[in-house]
Amino acid sequence: MTFDTPSFIQEDEALIRSLRENGMAKRKAEEQLFSQYVYFIREGMSKYSLPEEEAFDAYSDTILYGIDNIIKGIFENRSSLKTYLFKIFCNKCVDLIRKKTTNKSSIHQTSSISDLLFMIADPAKTVIQQLVDMADTDLLKRKLTELGENCKKLLGLFAEGYTDREITVEMSYKSPDVVKTSRLRCLDKLRQLYKQ
Amino acid sequence: MDNMEYIDDYFSGDRSESQTQSFEKRIIEDPAFAIDVAFYVSAKKTIAQQVQEEKKQRFQEIYQQQKKVVPIKKYLQPFEWRYMAAACMIAVVMLLTWFVFRGKTTPANLADQYMQENWKTLGVTMSAKQDSMQTALLLYNAGNFNQALESFESILKNDSTNQSAKKYAGIVSLRSLQYDKALQYFTLLAADTTLFSNEGKLYKALTLMKRSRPEDIEAAKKLLADIRDNDLEGKEQAVKWLKKLE
Repeated sequence: MTFDTPSFIQEDEALIRSLRENGMAKRKAEEQLFSQYVYFIREGMSKYSLPEEEAFDAYSDTILYGIDNIIKGIFENRSSLKTYLFKIFCNKCVDLIRKKTTNKSSIHQTSSISDLLFMIADPAKTVIQQLVDMADTDLLKRKLTELGENCKKLLGLFAEGYTDREITVEMSYKSPDVVKTSRLRCLDKLRQLYKQ
Repeated sequence: MDNMEYIDDYFSGDRSESQTQSFEKRIIEDPAFAIDVAFYVSAKKTIAQQVQEEKKQRFQEIYQQQKKVVPIKKYLQPFEWRYMAAACMIAVVMLLTWFVFRGKTTPANLADQYMQENWKTLGVTMSAKQDSMQTALLLYNAGNFNQALESFESILKNDSTNQSAKKYAGIVSLRSLQYDKALQYFTLLAADTTLFSNEGKLYKALTLMKRSRPEDIEAAKKLLADIRDNDLEGKEQAVKWLKKLE
């Protein structure tokens, strides 16, 4: 006796594969995932009495967090994507209700900072953490806009977790070494702008 | 730039134990290096946040486009929903009640109405002589249907041609919801062609309307149509019911 895989699992698997790819395929998969469960926003409005704007924030944070977990392999297909994302969404809504007075952008914390700091042991870690806390993020964001489009895209892909080899393909560079040199130049340029 | 490459290599590649120790030692001992490391970490975090913000912006555009196609409703607060739901339920119940009891006259309702108007009490002859028929009628009027039925049946046992006893036995059977028995007595009554005034068919139709089984209404209509067409006793009432049953 054979059992067919339910269609929703097949759809989930196809979407997950696309999310783990790069370039346009990934971008399209992100947009598809967002559109697929956009009705969660209504749930946030009705179930948690959130204004539409906040329900949207919770939902888009959910999708970004979900994508991050899918790419990192944290999502293990133990439930359907819908169930998994809805659970995250409910938690985000509850967080929003609790943190209404705090900065909304802090709800979705990208994991890069913790990942990098995880690679350093105390007491060096504490030193870096304190310096990072002192950094003027708004200024850094403003200076980022002063970089050329190429630099912004290059650094963006790097911050998203693309390897130099993947960036080589994505941005048609000659080699990963060229990507690395260009990337570090862009980073240095940003540092110079930040110091000014 | 040299520091940046060193920092980048540290965070990007595999590190030996000695490289890690050397890196961490330099953070502690060289403030300028620590600042560069912090910048690297902050920049990567800020750029990642910026990328996420741009994605959210893209999502917002998709959402706005979708909203144009399917406008999102303004949702009520949960407590408002509860009140709205309760109000709706009450309205539905009231509407249903109105439909059942006022709006639509069912055959059973018509029968009840007829019995209330005509059979609440039955006429008792004012006589000094207290015969068994009068006693049975008094029992009926007192609401003692079982004993009244026993009395009418006792009369019929002694005199099976007593048409009044048949009629009353049928009436009391119907009032006590013994439909089969009522039909039996009214059928016997209707079959008697010697009577000048025979309401047997009308009462049979009435019993069928009160019982209201799926096949009863059609049978009642046939009987009523027969009364109307043959100008039998109860024609006026039969026409009224037929109009309402159509």
